[in-house]
This record gives sequence, C-alpha cells and structure tokens, in this order.
Amino acid sequence: MTTLAFLLTESLNALSQAALLFFLGVGLTLIFGLMRIVNFAHGALYMLGAFVGYSLAKGSGNFWVALVGAPLLVGMFGAGFELTVLRRLYRRDAHAFLMVTFGLALVVGEAVRLIWGPDALQVAPPSALAGVVFLLDEPFPVYRLFLVATGIVVAVAIWQFLERSKLGLLIRATSQNADMASALGVDVKRIRSSVFGIGCALAALGGVLAAPLVTASNGMAATVIIDAFVIVIIGGMGSFLGSLIGALLVGFVQVFGNYYLPDLALAFMYLVMLAVLVVRPGGLLGKET
Amino acid sequence: MSKKVGPSRRAMLSVGLAGAATVASPGILRLTAKAENAPIKIGMPLALTGALGSVGQQLKRGAELYAKLQNAKGGILGRPIELLIEDTAGNPANCVRKAQEMVERQNCRLFTGITLSSEALAVVPKLAEWDAVFMSSDNGDGRLTAESFVPNFFRANISGPMGTRAVSLYLRSGKAQKFYALGLDYAWGHNSVQVFEDEVKKSKKDFLGKVFAPTGTKDYSSYITKIRQSGADAVFLVLQGDDNNAFLSQSQQYRLSEKVRLLTEIVDLASIRAVGDAALGLIGSSRYSFTYDYPLNNEFVALWKKEHDGAVPDTFEGEQWQAMKVLEAGITKAGGIEAAKLRPALEDIEIESVKGKVHIRKCDHQGVQQGFMVEVVKQEGIATPIPKVIATFPGESTTPKCNSMTFDD
Repeated sequence: MTTLAFLLTESLNALSQAALLFFLGVGLTLIFGLMRIVNFAHGALYMLGAFVGYSLAKGSGNFWVALVGAPLLVGMFGAGFELTVLRRLYRRDAHAFLMVTFGLALVVGEAVRLIWGPDALQVAPPSALAGVVFLLDEPFPVYRLFLVATGIVVAVAIWQFLERSKLGLLIRATSQNADMASALGVDVKRIRSSVFGIGCALAALGGVLAAPLVTASNGMAATVIIDAFVIVIIGGMGSFLGSLIGALLVGFVQVFGNYYLPDLALAFMYLVMLAVLVVRPGGLLGKET
Repeated sequence: MSKKVGPSRRAMLSVGLAGAATVASPGILRLTAKAENAPIKIGMPLALTGALGSVGQQLKRGAELYAKLQNAKGGILGRPIELLIEDTAGNPANCVRKAQEMVERQNCRLFTGITLSSEALAVVPKLAEWDAVFMSSDNGDGRLTAESFVPNFFRANISGPMGTRAVSLYLRSGKAQKFYALGLDYAWGHNSVQVFEDEVKKSKKDFLGKVFAPTGTKDYSSYITKIRQSGADAVFLVLQGDDNNAFLSQSQQYRLSEKVRLLTEIVDLASIRAVGDAALGLIGSSRYSFTYDYPLNNEFVALWKKEHDGAVPDTFEGEQWQAMKVLEAGITKAGGIEAAKLRPALEDIEIESVKGKVHIRKCDHQGVQQGFMVEVVKQEGIATPIPKVIATFPGESTTPKCNSMTFDD
C-alpha cells in the first residue's frame, strides 16, 4: 500500500465516521441550542433508529425504506415525547430534564430489548452499496463512500434549512431569545416540538446508517452517547458549525489515532476535548458563558 | 456512640424475635428441620448489558433451562435450584459488589456465569472469604487456572489458551506461514493473543505483529488496514460480542478475507446470526456448537428446541449447560453445597457431557475436554451459515500443563 493510498483511504474512513458522528452531534446541539436541554436519550434514540430500520428493511426487503422510515418514525416519537412530557417541564430547572431524558434512555433501552430481543441483528447494506471500489489499487467499501456523501448532503441540507427557510429563521430567533420571539408572535411551542423531533430523527438516521457497519445491538447506545457529548463540547454547545467541526475532529483523531497509537485509542478523543477546553472553555464555536 | 448501638440492638432484636417465634410456633420447627430442603441458591452476576451483553444473556438462558428442567425432576438432592440473576454491565467492580450482596443478603455460596474474565479475576480473590465455590462457564483467561488460581475456583468451559491451542494445532498442518493477531484490549484478549504468539513461534512460523482494540470499538477500519499492511496469510482474532460483529461486518465490506484468512479463537453462533454471510469461511475453535454429534448433545438440542420454538442453543448456552451438569454431579457426590465438601467432590470428577467427556482435573480445577475446530459454512435449507466441525483434538493435547498457560511441544 502506497503512502498516498493509505492517506486517501484512511481519510475517507475518517470522513465516513465523522458523518455518523455528525448525525448524532448535530441533533444534540440543535436541541441544546434551542431548549437548553441535554438530551441523555440521544444514544438510545440512535439505537432505536437502528432497530426500527432493521424491521423496516426486513419487512419491505428494501434498505431505502428503512433509511427514510426509521428517522421519520423516531422523529415523530421524539416530537410526541416533547409534546406530552418535556413541555410540562420548561419552567423547572435543568435537573428535571436530566432525569426525564435519562429515564427515557432507560425505557427505550429496555423496550428495544423486549421487542427485538437481546441479540445483535444484521442489517445488510443494499446490494448496490455492498461492493468495493479500487482507490489507487486499494479496495474500499462503496458503503463508506455512501456514508461520506450522505454526511455532506445532510450537512448542507441542515445548513440551508437553518439559513434559508422560514422555520430555520424562527429556530435561530427562538434559540437567541425565546421570550422575544414569542412576543413577536412566533409559536415557540411548535418550534420546540419540531426541533426535538428533528434532533431525534437525525440520531435515528445515524443509527440506521451505522447498522450495516456494527449490526443493530443493545450495546450501541452506551458507546455512542459519550462520543456525541464530546463532539458537542468540542464544537460548542448549540453551534451547528461547531458540531460539524467536532465530528470531523473526532472522526480523524479516532481513525488515525487507532492506526498510529492503538494503545491510546480511547484516550485520544478526550485529549482533543481537553486541549480545546483549555484554550476555549466554551468549545470552539461556543459562547463563553 | 449511637452508631454502635444501632446494629447490636437490631441484632439482639432479631435473635430475640427468632427465638420467640421458634418457641411460639411449631411451624417454625418444621421449617428448621426442612433447612436441608432449602433451595440451592446459585448466584449469577452476569453482564446482561454492555458490549458483551449477548454473552451474558446466553449464560442466563442456559442456566434457566437447566434449572427449570432439573427442578421439574425434583432439583438436586431434593432441593430446588434458585438462580439469583443480576446485571453487572460487564464492570468488574459491579460484579464484585453484586456477588458480595448475594453472599451477605441471600446467603449464596455458589457462583457461575460471571461473564468477563476481568470480572472473574476480580471475584476469585474473595471466594475464600465468602466460603463460596465458583464454577466458570465461559471465562477464557488462562490465569484463572494458573497464577490467579484459588482452590474454590473451577472451570467447566474451554479456556482461551485451550481454544488458541486447538487453532495452533490445526495450523501446524496448514499452509499459512505468516500470522497477525487482533484481540480485545482486556484480560482475555491479551492472554489468548500471547498464547497464540508463543504457539506460532514454537512451530517455526512467522508472527508478524499484534494489535488490541478497546471493547466497544465501532470502527475497525484502522485495524483492518493494519492487518492488510502486515502481509500476513492469516489473522487470529480474539473478539467477542458487538466488537466481533462490527469487525466481521466491516472486514467483509473490505473483502479482507480474499487476501487474509480469518481465524478466530471462538466461533459463536449468535455472532454468525448477527453478521450472516460475513462469517462464511471463518475458521476457529469452538467451545460448543449444536452441530456436535454426541447422544447427550442431540438430547440437549432437542430439549432446547422444544423450549425455544425450534431455535438451536448457542455457544454459551451449551457451555452454561455443561457447567451446571458438572456442578450438579459435584453437589450430588458431596451431598451438599458447602465449599469444604463440594471442593473435594468436584476435584477429579468426570462426567459425560454434551461435548463428550469432561474431567475436572485436581491440580488446577480445569475441565479437560476435547478441542473442536469448526468452519463456518452454508448448508442447504438453512438460511444462516452454521459451524461445521472440521477437526477435533483430545483434551490432553489442548489443555495446558497444570497451573500454567503453556504447552510442552
């Protein structure tokens, strides 16, 4: 393997991991930015996405149905949860949200175990994406290229949505000053439900897309929630661009760290986080409050 | 001061109450007389969640079916079996705490099914203090019967060094010359990779390198790259649970097996189901498989299918079943579960099991049993690939020397 081929394939690997991390991180950061809620259930919803995706793919025989359906269903579940439970808590302090979303994580985790059983389940990539392409004579999975492409498409879409659409404008307004937005006639309640739903849908999208790489398993929630928090902390709580940069940093650090210094594989991500926090306590693009 | 008074007053009270009740009620006397028929409590602090949750779940199901069927036959020594099952999430500190609670609150004196070797290694130093016997059903780490051996520890299952040895005996006759190894970054992974490295070097073949991945690794691309770059003919894997599934899925996406032969210390059915065709061609040692053709195994598989809607038992369900059978033989021979009686009864015991004969040798309490090599193949009419036995080795050749992890030849 030439150095160039190595750098190319590893960078693509890092980008594909960054894409998965970004789906998680951006949902978490959008929710935090708007509602000042740290959603502890984010990992569980990611897992729920993978399992719902498994059932949809199996039932329809089509991965694409799962890819669209799972985020939709989990997003609706999230919006419903905001409408029925979280909405009652906005006047309370932040601890209430911690308890409730942590509780949701436990409930979703157990529900998945009861419905789908304790064993890991296979979600095969669609046959069109199952092959390899040769990049500088090195085989590279098409599915990983698809992840990179999806990551780019989703990132651009969210960015355009926030910057250009009416709802995006209202979301930005509400996250800057909810009271003022409300006074100007913005339906803040509706905005909150939609954003919580969108955040959950993005987590589920990450789950469905990760399933062909890691299978749908009960353990996936626990390992992923930490990564998501690290990304959001590195990028700055509430910053869209921050979560993108955070995901890229963590993706590259993990892939290249695992290669060059596998003994420190676990520590790398935290070292980066530590370094960022020392220089900028609010995260790279966060407000230093 | 008040702190001191509390417990003693409570103790006095309970002793007094118990005494009064005994005197007052003849029913209590009957109960005391029946203490011999009290349930046999078997503690199972299992990793039911976490990256190795699927293994813990298998151990649970294996023990549960055994307890159900044995209780229907009147239990052991006429005493019903009661399983105490708790989740440790695979954390050694949790495991010790849960086991300690079982000892103190429930007077539990038997343990089995402790899932991770790191958990087992944390528990064994406490066994003497608890006066408890621990029958391992899946712990792979060779040290448990070597440098970390304690008299109250027994291992009914095939250990990591034994599985690794079966692989290396199989490879001696094979064409592969250059090897690489990938293990999970904890006790079992390091132990098995070390044994494999020694074996490869002894057989005058090349050991090119090794790498360890933390449990819960999601992206194996860097490790797959390392394996490809090493130029090895074959890679030896010491992976389990979610990590194994992730590695196999991703290595298939990379077409790794076209270049490098995949060998594994442990072929597990749950993993084959989770990754499907990505497991095809995998060669490895097997601790248990429903495909072993022995009368007791065929009987066990039939029982299992009846209980579980036609599903076949997995690796650790079979291993746990065997561990329960060894424990049962020991308890029956000892006439009780007290460590002082049970320990000598278990030493040197031999039973006919689902894997053929299992002999618990006296010197280090390891269950000597056949080693199996299997290949994951597709069979007509079955959607999921199955492990097919391709070689067996007598227990004497796969079990290390007493209290050690090494082999003479």
